[in-house]
Amino acid sequence: MTLDGPKAGPKSQTILVVGGGIAGITAALEAAETGHEVVLLEQGPSLGGRVTRLARYFPKLCHPTCGLEINYQRIKKNPRLKVMTMCEPTAVAGRKGAFTVTIRRHPRYVNDKCTACGECAKATAIRVPNPYNYGLDKVSAAYLPHEHAMPMRYVIDPAAMRAGEGAKLKAACAYGAVDPDEKETTFELSVGAIIWATGWRPYDPNKLDVYSYGHSADIINNVEMERLAAHDGPTQGKILRPSNGEPAKRVALIQCAGSRDNNHLPYCSRICCLGSLKHAAYVREQYADAEVHIYYIDIRAHDKLEAFYNKVRSDPQVRFIKSKPAHIRVGDDGRPVLFGERTIDRQIYAEPYDLVVLATGMEPSAVEGYRPAVSLAADDYGFLVANEQDGDDGIFSAGVASGPLDVSMSVQSATAAALKAVQAVRSGM
Amino acid sequence: MTVAPPDTSTKYDLDFAKWVYENIEGGDKLALCMQCGVCSGSCPIGVQMDYGPRKLFMMIRAGMKEEVMTSSTQWNCTSCYRCVVRCPRSVPVTYILQDLAAKSAELGYAQKTNENVNFARSFWWSAKTFGRTDERLVTALYYFSFGLKEGYQRGLANLKIALNFVKRGRMHIGLPHRIKGRRQLKAILAKAEEIAKREGLH
Ligand SMILES: Cc1cc2nc3c(=O)[nH]c(=O)nc-3n(C[C@H](O)[C@H](O)[C@H](O)COP(=O)(O)OP(=O)(O)OC[C@H]3O[C@@H](n4cnc5c(N)ncnc54)[C@H](O)[C@@H]3O)c2cc1C
Ligand code: SF4
Ligand code: SF4
Repeated sequence: MTLDGPKAGPKSQTILVVGGGIAGITAALEAAETGHEVVLLEQGPSLGGRVTRLARYFPKLCHPTCGLEINYQRIKKNPRLKVMTMCEPTAVAGRKGAFTVTIRRHPRYVNDKCTACGECAKATAIRVPNPYNYGLDKVSAAYLPHEHAMPMRYVIDPAAMRAGEGAKLKAACAYGAVDPDEKETTFELSVGAIIWATGWRPYDPNKLDVYSYGHSADIINNVEMERLAAHDGPTQGKILRPSNGEPAKRVALIQCAGSRDNNHLPYCSRICCLGSLKHAAYVREQYADAEVHIYYIDIRAHDKLEAFYNKVRSDPQVRFIKSKPAHIRVGDDGRPVLFGERTIDRQIYAEPYDLVVLATGMEPSAVEGYRPAVSLAADDYGFLVANEQDGDDGIFSAGVASGPLDVSMSVQSATAAALKAVQAVRSGM
Repeated sequence: MTVAPPDTSTKYDLDFAKWVYENIEGGDKLALCMQCGVCSGSCPIGVQMDYGPRKLFMMIRAGMKEEVMTSSTQWNCTSCYRCVVRCPRSVPVTYILQDLAAKSAELGYAQKTNENVNFARSFWWSAKTFGRTDERLVTALYYFSFGLKEGYQRGLANLKIALNFVKRGRMHIGLPHRIKGRRQLKAILAKAEEIAKREGLH
């Protein structure tokens, strides 16, 4: 069987992992620690994926950085694991044991001499929407992805180069790390197995037109809520109304915003109920007098996470309202107003809030991104699953690329994928 | 929150849900309803319905035949289709309500409680007789469908409005408007009736 063309590469025992989120990092480490050569590709400037942008993890409300830090230490210690950032695959050819993968590397304009001193950031006045904070604030076009970035290296937005700032940025760096002439390059890798861990993106809230996301700064989605609650976010961790900077003390959390909906994502994203329970906890920790209302169809706190649900539920200032809101309008006072029917007592309501958080679901990155055309099949929703006939042809999926999973389940699936990849490269020899 | 104890006087017809699934247009999709409330919350006149679609659907499942068939929900639906567009489970809410209205009239339930049935009947009489609706005749028929005395009272209460209509040329005087091909219309309707019977739509 062939993938994207007939060309088979030379035999290789190297394992390629695509996507440097928690799943990709785990799969790469597990495989490398069994003694295999591993290449980890990440399209962005640093590792960690979406979890680096979570303020804290449910159910213990611990910080994602500590788990990531342990993994980064493991990566640094392992000579068999090679990390390539700014890289994405553009084609896969060959077969199990002998794939040739074409890779495109985007220019970072900063090489490995960077000490993260930050002088380049001061040298340009150009500012760009901060990708780390989902564009809720701006950063210098020469920026460190975030304070725990791995690698700890600056990156320069192409906008700065287009504006002719290259020479100025180069002159500002005392270490010779800025390279304005870096070009996009393409190269090939020979590998024996591939793990696809390309993760997810939040479902676009603009598609939920009845929820007026674009019509009020105080209607945000759940990933933005994580940034509002994070100490290195746009508000230094204070949950404030984006419209006027006042404390958000009457907050509505809307479940299944786009999930379990035939007009949008037909499946349950599985983590957003727990995400919102966590958001209720964020708000209540900050304001003793805050009221949080969770609008839900049914709360899905899977297996062991039921305890976290019961804990949040015991807070009398967190109310659970069984209703999927019909629509949101911006009220005369500028506050978002929720309309709908409470299904327990059939009350039709119109409730104003300081802040409304849409619990948008997780959409697989592979829906619009590149993925190998053969081998991995996509299920009805775009998650990558093993092909029934060729379950063992050397390409595997892990993490949210394979289904809507939380971090611990992503790590489990990544470990399983690593084991399968190891078996694939061994059997191919 | 307190939940009312079950009302033991309610009669439940355990075959009713199945009957709806099999006999009401779109009824087979009713099993997909997840009781989210979007339909009732989206309905522009939801507050003027005794139950609203979501609750009505739950009552169908529970077998509350009498209450469902005499409900105002299906009669007050204006067919705006907002619920159909928004339903996350693609339940054809409007179609179900429309057919529930038709079946509840046919089976003699609706007359007991619903004024809208009387209006629909008057409207249809004019449409099939003249090929046009004549406001005066539809209104008169509708008013007097509640009996002589009430018809007279309703007419009197609205007389001023009617006269103003006439004055502004909004309501004509004289013979009802009618289409030319009334005989063809009759044939078309007879054929439709025949097809409906053949296809088991009644
Ligand atoms: C609001 C919210 C809160 C959450 N909170 C929690 C929580 O508290 N606890 C918990 O357990 N889970 C939580 N989750 C779920 C958690 O975010 C996911 O389980 C986790 O991000 C999955 O990691 P991943 O590596 O599979 O995917 P990702 O984090 O998406 O990582 C994928 C990586 O692949 C890269 N990539 C994508 N495409 C390519 C490509 N073509 N080439 C190269 N690289 C590519 C991406 O840049 C990214 O770095 C939450 C989710 C949401 C929406
Ligand atoms: S986890 Fe909860 S909010 Fe998310 S789709 Fe499932 S039920 Fe809806
Ligand atoms: S919107 Fe659809 S799923 Fe929701 S209650 Fe109405 S019919 Fe049921």
